[in-house]
Amino acid sequence: MISAIGEVLLGKEHQVRLALACLLARGHLLIEDLPGMGKTTLAEALARSFGLGFKRVSFTSDLLPADLTGLNVFDPGAASFHFQPGPLFSQVLLADEINRASPRTQSALLEAMAAGRVSVDGVSHPLPQPFLVIATQNGLDQGGTSALPESQLDRFLMRLSLGYPPRQAERALLQGEGLRPDGLSGAFGPQDLLELQARCERQHCSAALLDYVLDLLDRSRSQPAQGHPLSPRAGLALVAAARAWSLLEGREHVIPDDVQAVLAAVCEHRMDGGQRGESDGKLSQRLQAGVDGLR
Amino acid sequence: MSRAAAPLQWLTMGLLTVGLLGLSPALSLSLLAFGLAVLTALKLREARSLEERRVVALLQLVGAGLLAALRPELGPSLLQGLAILMALAGLLALELGAGPDWKALMRRSLQVLVAALPIALVLFLLLPRLMPFSSLGSGHGMGAMTGLSDSMDPGSIARLAVSREAAARVAFPLGGGPPPLEQRYWRVLVHERFDGRSWRSTAPPFPRPAAGQPPAPAPTPAAPGEGIQLWLVEPSGLSAVPWSGAGRPLSPDLTPQRSGELLNRAPGSQRRVYALTRTADPGDWRTEPPGPIDLVLPRGENPRLEALAAGWGRLGSDRERLNAAGSWFRSQPFRYTLEPGALPRQAPLDHFLFETRLGFCGHYASAFTTLMRAAGVPARVVSGYRGGQWVQPVGGTGYVDLRQADAHAWSEVWLQGEGWQRVDPTAWADGDPLATAETSGETATGTAPWDWLQRQWWGLDIAWARWWLGYDSEQQQALVQRLLGDQRHLLGLVVLLAVAISLAASLGGLGWLGRRRSGDTLRLELEHTLRAFARHGMAPDAGETLPVFAQRLTQRWPALGDPLNAYVGNYQRQRFASTPSRAGRRETRRLGRALRRSLRTGNLPKEAVQRGVPLNRRP
Repeated sequence: MISAIGEVLLGKEHQVRLALACLLARGHLLIEDLPGMGKTTLAEALARSFGLGFKRVSFTSDLLPADLTGLNVFDPGAASFHFQPGPLFSQVLLADEINRASPRTQSALLEAMAAGRVSVDGVSHPLPQPFLVIATQNGLDQGGTSALPESQLDRFLMRLSLGYPPRQAERALLQGEGLRPDGLSGAFGPQDLLELQARCERQHCSAALLDYVLDLLDRSRSQPAQGHPLSPRAGLALVAAARAWSLLEGREHVIPDDVQAVLAAVCEHRMDGGQRGESDGKLSQRLQAGVDGLR
Repeated sequence: MSRAAAPLQWLTMGLLTVGLLGLSPALSLSLLAFGLAVLTALKLREARSLEERRVVALLQLVGAGLLAALRPELGPSLLQGLAILMALAGLLALELGAGPDWKALMRRSLQVLVAALPIALVLFLLLPRLMPFSSLGSGHGMGAMTGLSDSMDPGSIARLAVSREAAARVAFPLGGGPPPLEQRYWRVLVHERFDGRSWRSTAPPFPRPAAGQPPAPAPTPAAPGEGIQLWLVEPSGLSAVPWSGAGRPLSPDLTPQRSGELLNRAPGSQRRVYALTRTADPGDWRTEPPGPIDLVLPRGENPRLEALAAGWGRLGSDRERLNAAGSWFRSQPFRYTLEPGALPRQAPLDHFLFETRLGFCGHYASAFTTLMRAAGVPARVVSGYRGGQWVQPVGGTGYVDLRQADAHAWSEVWLQGEGWQRVDPTAWADGDPLATAETSGETATGTAPWDWLQRQWWGLDIAWARWWLGYDSEQQQALVQRLLGDQRHLLGLVVLLAVAISLAASLGGLGWLGRRRSGDTLRLELEHTLRAFARHGMAPDAGETLPVFAQRLTQRWPALGDPLNAYVGNYQRQRFASTPSRAGRRETRRLGRALRRSLRTGNLPKEAVQRGVPLNRRP
């Protein structure tokens, strides 16, 4: 399947793998890059390859929470209100340019992401399962953006940036060899995804591996000069993502290599406080170099 | 900085304070220790930063060291050891970060202490001792205790309570078994001044020998009990300490007196430990002629006594007078009792000698000495301890346990040509406790468990005192002599070398412990393999995982690919898979050995063996 998505997203196998791991780990994905790098394509490809319902919301500065969650509409026939679900009620939601919306709308989305349900007028409406939010944001140096605070960044399991494709892949792209996402056949269904997610949680984490993760967390906390310290939620995210990665690698147990593979995606945005600068990935590299990986 | 740091440091402070409590405040060095403790506590109170707390920990270690120099007995030593352990743990809590908990800190601290033992041993054996510190003990604190006092007035005591309180313990490191009962007299005070009722001790200072005068040759000990003595004396407040009357004290503040007292220049509230060697002092109190004070007797106080003595006074020699008095005492029905009732103020000794004939040692010694003086023989009363119980602690050196109940008084008379002779008139009385006592003391069946425990502890105490006090500067010289022979000038070099070697051993041991701590057998085995590769210039990068490193190794030595893959795969399964097994661990070790062997045997393509330059980094 990775190769299938890879055909859509030329030359980005590692990112596709990470995005898939994120999906398996029941996490949400934040993709940060310049416009036109294939963010939307990735999101759509992910959704289609599992046959998931896919909706897309382009965030603008005047988008309101009700535009996302839906609202109670008066039904004159029944003389009562009934709930009209918003675009949040889909299995994969692509929140385009999330950092252009107002903080109020951002937090409405992020609450839904954390709780897995939406409350409108005192009534809780469960969101469909699986539920994945892929948010994209443009670089903060671009106009008309309001940055996500650290607390909300923490809700995203991973942050990816796609980057420019390699020359060979770009040549293929220009030659029109890439597939359109709608060309992807649904070999898997949502049930398969749920099953994979459950299997993911059963991946074995040995004591030695947990020690490694704990050492990483300790290290980030004992060296405050090296970015923000990692929270316990970051530790959970790291283990969940590493589990998903090990599943993708076809192993039944997690090894430090899995942790290292997802470390930058899981931890960098928690450590740099959303200020992705020139030195993207440096903090997690330094963190990784500070802990014995041999075990 | 660990959270345990502050509690540990306060705990250390508490232990040091407890150690200070037993210290006599009269001594300048203990003032220093008190001052240091107060300073450290204040510093600890205000310390916030890591640096300040570090200073506190170092001050605490210095304080414990000072305390160790002042109080080297077993109990305080254990306390100081504990304090040092806690102080080190506190320091480690500062330095090791937030990770280790109390248990880990204590274990690490203990490891550091154990690692320091070789250095301590070298310094103990070879460095000059700080003997004067330990013996400079103390000022005046307590009043006289029930056993002995400066003044003795038996007539005023109607009833003598028996106190089982501990008085002293004496061991004979050379003697072996218990000394015979008739030799177990330990003198403390000499009472020469008599006013008709009470005996007071006078202690004229003994003249110091003129400088350059050769010391008199050492006389052979008179009895097995008079060899080396090791004393542990409870605080008494007396100006003299017990001894057998022979030997030379090792502590400079103990001086034998002309009268045969062993003067303690710093009497006090602190327990004392001291040893006497076989070597005699130049002046021997036994041959020191009596002064006029030894014949002083207020006339007319006890007319019947004087009349009786006058009869003996007509005999020719002092020896005959003594024998006559002895046979008279034995012919009279004297009986020993602790409840004789008070004697009248008028002619008290007449009343005792001719009416009641009931009394304890003080009565007998007092009456007999008075009789001797009346007969013209110089005599004096000596008080001290007699008897005591021989205790053989489990697996230790035997010692004599002296209680306050063993306090005793006897007489000494001067015989021309024989010197001062001990005469114990109490022994002539009926019911003398010493005569009825068994020779080797009661058996353990009769002692309460607490007593038994206490005696075992004292046995340990004695053994400890013997150990550190017994290793004096003479033995040190002997050791150096044995080690170096004529090359004594090399001592400094040898000490330095020994310190360096033991330091290296300690650090090596600590390092080994640290490495051991970080891994099990599997990890040790892995490190063994990694060292083999490191010798070929390949070491894992910081944070690198084993598969990545193995990949680099395979790039450099393609021939090693298979054993590497087998080893790494097996290792990782053992480490991270859900089913590690003993057989799997064995297999991993076997694969590791195989890998090292193929690395050693040069089963490598030639072009790849280029030291320090991995294939993938070559230009």
